[in-house]
Amino acid sequence: MIVKLTRIEIQSRKDLEMIDITDRIESAVAGSGVRDGLAWAMTAHTSAGLLVTEGIECLERDVLAHLERLAPKQPPEGSHGYWHNRYLDYDGRLGFNAGDHLKSILGGVNCLFPVEDGKVVRGSRQRAYFVEYDGPLARTVFIQVLGEGGTTDES
Amino acid sequence: MRRPGIDFHTHPLLVREMVERYSALAKAARETFFIGNTFQPLETFHLELDAASLEKAVVLPIGAVAGTDATLWSNEQIAELCGMSVRLVGFAGVDPRQENAAEQLRFAVRSLGLRGLKLDPPMQRFFPDDRLAYPLYETARDLGIPIVFHAGMSWQPGSRLQYGQPLRFEAVAADFPTLRIIMAHLAWPWVVEAVALALKYPNLYLDTSALYFDNPRDFLRFAMTHQVPLTVFERRLRRQLVFGSNYPRVEIKNMAAAIHSLGFSEECLNLIFRVNADTLLEGAQ
Repeated sequence: MIVKLTRIEIQSRKDLEMIDITDRIESAVAGSGVRDGLAWAMTAHTSAGLLVTEGIECLERDVLAHLERLAPKQPPEGSHGYWHNRYLDYDGRLGFNAGDHLKSILGGVNCLFPVEDGKVVRGSRQRAYFVEYDGPLARTVFIQVLGEGGTTDES
Repeated sequence: MRRPGIDFHTHPLLVREMVERYSALAKAARETFFIGNTFQPLETFHLELDAASLEKAVVLPIGAVAGTDATLWSNEQIAELCGMSVRLVGFAGVDPRQENAAEQLRFAVRSLGLRGLKLDPPMQRFFPDDRLAYPLYETARDLGIPIVFHAGMSWQPGSRLQYGQPLRFEAVAADFPTLRIIMAHLAWPWVVEAVALALKYPNLYLDTSALYFDNPRDFLRFAMTHQVPLTVFERRLRRQLVFGSNYPRVEIKNMAAAIHSLGFSEECLNLIFRVNADTLLEGAQ
């Protein structure tokens, strides 16, 4: 049984952004030595996420716009706002990104793929995305590959 | 299209390239500034500016409690950081109690290329109108550089708010009419007093880096439309107000968006984000 954990850094460049990390997950699998098993990726953050969807720009925009509608950065005018809007002494700053945390919960923080013959198995339209909800920031994603090692059919 | 502009109040606390070179800077970020965010590559700082459509940032050292020997970004380190990015404008930090304070400031400006002075009376525990600081003010005036003072509320343990009360700045503004003084954070909660001084003294500026509850939009709306009517800033103090975020305590993008949401005219926004900062930095080349 092989269990290999890889940490990758992703530099988001915008406030809200979807970044395709499929190739980086596949690289982690290729370098793991696992032939048959699972590849699991998780963001290290609570105002970012991971999800799987079709890899086209229009859909990226729709995903971000829909999550922003569900969990807006600014609470509606005249509402009581977010409870998170307060000074966080452990962070030395105010928390006012509750909407971004909520997006992370709604969109999810991890994704899982089967690994077969040393390769990620996924649908032809499926891509894995890191989703930035409060960028730009340098972010960390954990990729863990676990399973049986050995020679693949192609080798 | 990026509209050139300046964030006049940032701290370089989270720049990974620097904390990796100087471990004491990581300690200062955590134990003096109490910032818990992860350290970030310098590129993130640049991208933060991009997200707010700004070109440059003034980077300010951290005020240390007088008498402590904590390492809190030396002038050389600020200059080193600015050497890594044309988008950063460095200010010096000096303890006014030190006998050679004026000489340190002259060196920081003339030899290191820093373009202003940052003082933090609540942390350094001196009243701005204390005569002990006057030689430093004379030096700043003669060098043609502005001074950013922390004013008003300070979260930092060890600080004392009494040293940040606006009325203690009046003698400085009056005694040094050609010295340009920026009272940071709108001197909140004493915004009315700070505005009164700015109305009276044209060499006294305010920066917008105030956020003490709620979120940037709602807080600045309270401070800049309820505590003082927006019209006072728009019509009378438009040339004495500069944009500041207090990054990384607040993201630059959020503070910039909040200022844009208040209802200032485009002409006034241009002054706040660009022209006034340029004016303050003139003479500090």
